[in-house]
Amino acid sequence: MQNIFSKICKRILSVFCLLCLFLYFPACSSRNRTDGFIHYRLNYNPTTLDPALIVDVTGGVISAKLFNGLVRLDESLNVIPDLAEKWKISDEGTAYIFFLRHGARFANEREVTAYDVKYSFERILDPHGKSPNSWVLDKILGAKEYMSGKASDVEGIEVKDRYTIKIRLANAFSPFLNLLTMTAAYIVPEEEVKKWGADFATHPVGSGPFTLRKWEHNNQLVLERNEGYFNSRARIGGIIYRVIPEDLTAVTEFELGNLDVIAIPAYEYARYRRSPKWRDLISSVKGLNTYYLGFNCSRPPFNNINLRKAVSYSIDRRKILETFYEGRGRLSEGPVPDLLRKWNLCATGDYDPARARKVVEREGALNRVVDFYITPDQEMVDIAEIIQSFLKKAGLDVRIKQFEWSAYKAAINRGDADLFWISWWADYPDPENFLFPLFHSANHGASGNRARYTNKEVDRLIEAGQGSISPSEGNRYYGIAENIIAEESPWVFFWHKTDFTLRQPYVKNYRIYPIYSMDKGLEVSL
Amino acid sequence: MITFALTKALPGDPVYTLVGERSSPEIIEKVRKEIGADKGTVRQYIGYVSLLIKGDMGRSYYTNRKVFDDIKSKFPNTLALAAGAMAIAVPSGILLGLLSALKKGGISDRVISTVSILFLSVPVFWSGLMIMLFFSLRLKILPPSGTGGLQYMLLPSLTLALPAFATIARVTRVSVLDVVTMPFIRTARAKGIKESSINALHIMKNALIPVVTVIGLDFGSYLNGAVLTETIFGWDGVGRFTMEGIVKRDYPVIMGCIIVGTMLFVMINLLVDVIYHYVDPRVRIHGAKR
Repeated sequence: MQNIFSKICKRILSVFCLLCLFLYFPACSSRNRTDGFIHYRLNYNPTTLDPALIVDVTGGVISAKLFNGLVRLDESLNVIPDLAEKWKISDEGTAYIFFLRHGARFANEREVTAYDVKYSFERILDPHGKSPNSWVLDKILGAKEYMSGKASDVEGIEVKDRYTIKIRLANAFSPFLNLLTMTAAYIVPEEEVKKWGADFATHPVGSGPFTLRKWEHNNQLVLERNEGYFNSRARIGGIIYRVIPEDLTAVTEFELGNLDVIAIPAYEYARYRRSPKWRDLISSVKGLNTYYLGFNCSRPPFNNINLRKAVSYSIDRRKILETFYEGRGRLSEGPVPDLLRKWNLCATGDYDPARARKVVEREGALNRVVDFYITPDQEMVDIAEIIQSFLKKAGLDVRIKQFEWSAYKAAINRGDADLFWISWWADYPDPENFLFPLFHSANHGASGNRARYTNKEVDRLIEAGQGSISPSEGNRYYGIAENIIAEESPWVFFWHKTDFTLRQPYVKNYRIYPIYSMDKGLEVSL
Repeated sequence: MITFALTKALPGDPVYTLVGERSSPEIIEKVRKEIGADKGTVRQYIGYVSLLIKGDMGRSYYTNRKVFDDIKSKFPNTLALAAGAMAIAVPSGILLGLLSALKKGGISDRVISTVSILFLSVPVFWSGLMIMLFFSLRLKILPPSGTGGLQYMLLPSLTLALPAFATIARVTRVSVLDVVTMPFIRTARAKGIKESSINALHIMKNALIPVVTVIGLDFGSYLNGAVLTETIFGWDGVGRFTMEGIVKRDYPVIMGCIIVGTMLFVMINLLVDVIYHYVDPRVRIHGAKR
């Protein structure tokens, strides 16, 4: 009996080994690669590729390759021509005339005209449309009336001729050109949108350097070089984005050569940094982001500025950054990332646990229980526990509450938490993007100001900055506003994260950009 | 109705994920209206049921794709994975379970029991990663992730098969040990029937009843998707789809997946009952053969 079964077991094993051998050649020789194509990883399947609907970075990264705006950002974060060859600003910063380049074509070979710009912008503002991105263009004159259904078109969008479009704003708004670099301001062809209807989200047609060849949902997206691109063509034949949710799987795929570039997972950073084989192939970029511990400033105990500052003194941010975070960022002193700050920021006080404890005692908050909301993300859990231990020494009893992401977001938008951990990433490279949504009192909750911070002077300064004509004038207002914010500590400012990627040795001219919309995929080669 | 109520009782709001990080109350209200979340729960339920009666499961809030079409496209992948796992687990589980029972107390029994307990105790996310690291990174014989042909299917199937194998082997062992003490086996031996025939025809046939139940339960649950395995191996199945729906509070997706999953589970149970009919004469309706 035993013999029979050992024979059967051996047979099963040999069948499995034979199967592996049989599969060895197709698996290894092809190695999931297509010649001339660069292979990237996506953490998850993009939900939509319709620029009107995109709200996530993944969708933004891909749509940047498929579409163009009137303008885009260069490597130094300057606004440069894209579909618009040049532009003129007049009427004290309220009128913009864009001159479109001739010969730029959509992937369906029709030329891009000023009428397409009008259609694309009005589509974002359409009261019957589904776009959640109307805030990008609602500064245009007549946009509010159009959005509320009181006007049949947007007064401030005027097609002068086939290649010229004039856009008038309701008021001067200094970041306007920056806003036009965003996904929502990409130009789409009306006939394709109408042809596909809701399915334009999965059949995007733009004028970008690549076109979508195939989208196998949850598996891979294949972009092909647009041979008729109006600018210099991409050096690669195309891009394959593989959807790989698990970090370790992506690392395995990379080490097997099936991926050409990966974002380095936090727990692999030290290994690659030490590895002689890989360390020279790491690229990094100072991210335009701010990680912070937010207070609920609208209710006790953290409506008390002194207590907020005490929390700030009690946490050794530098130590956390250097040890736990392995130096993968720059210490932040205020909400605006260092790369965008053109003014001096007064230091608000370093780690001082004794002082923190004294303030907590003085304010009568000793052993006070505070609720700290986080998501189950392991990095966030670890940071929360570190913060909890620092605050315990300061005399505050932190109760960590974990919520799944959707519930977490709803809770902090409602203002349920005393403390919460979150980050803010730039949509466009302007200090205004880190001040208006996050600290203006009109934006409490889901609009960005989750700390529910209110200061009329800060509101006034941010609005003055938005209405400035010159960047230097705007920076003056923003500088004063940021100093007040840093002094009043509605957040504990932690760090500006630096992003790291790892590439294969044969990947040339690869760059990592601080904003997703900047990478058009034109320079990289294999 | 229970599923709908439970889905709605989940904390969180899909609108906040739909509108992104920066949105005005007007936009939030507009999107809420767009997806019908502004209506009362009862009206939403009536709306959903009337859609369902027409054979429509609605569209995903995020991708705007038809939920039924998505499930339809992912189900073959899930079915393939479940079938692959069962193809590995069932024969090996039954054979080794039988061997373990027949050699009770021997080395083979101890080894098989230890391995079974190990496979049952080790979480799938760990065993999956280990299997991937060994076969893909070390031996370089199978791709670590992706959805596609047999070479992509083998590792996730093997991962899923481990706990299923362990359960089947253990249940087979217990069941066989129960059957071998039955008087009819003694009678069969007394009749001089060959030992191999006793094992195959008398013992196995009678011991199979609880094993069929376990196989049915495992297969039914795998058909509802194996979230962790599908995530680790980047397999585009129903499990990942359901999980993403739950995480994003994509109610039409959650509802659609649960309804289809429940139907599948019921069908598998029905199939198991039909198999009983052939395996166990006691469950046949008396007189059915007249």
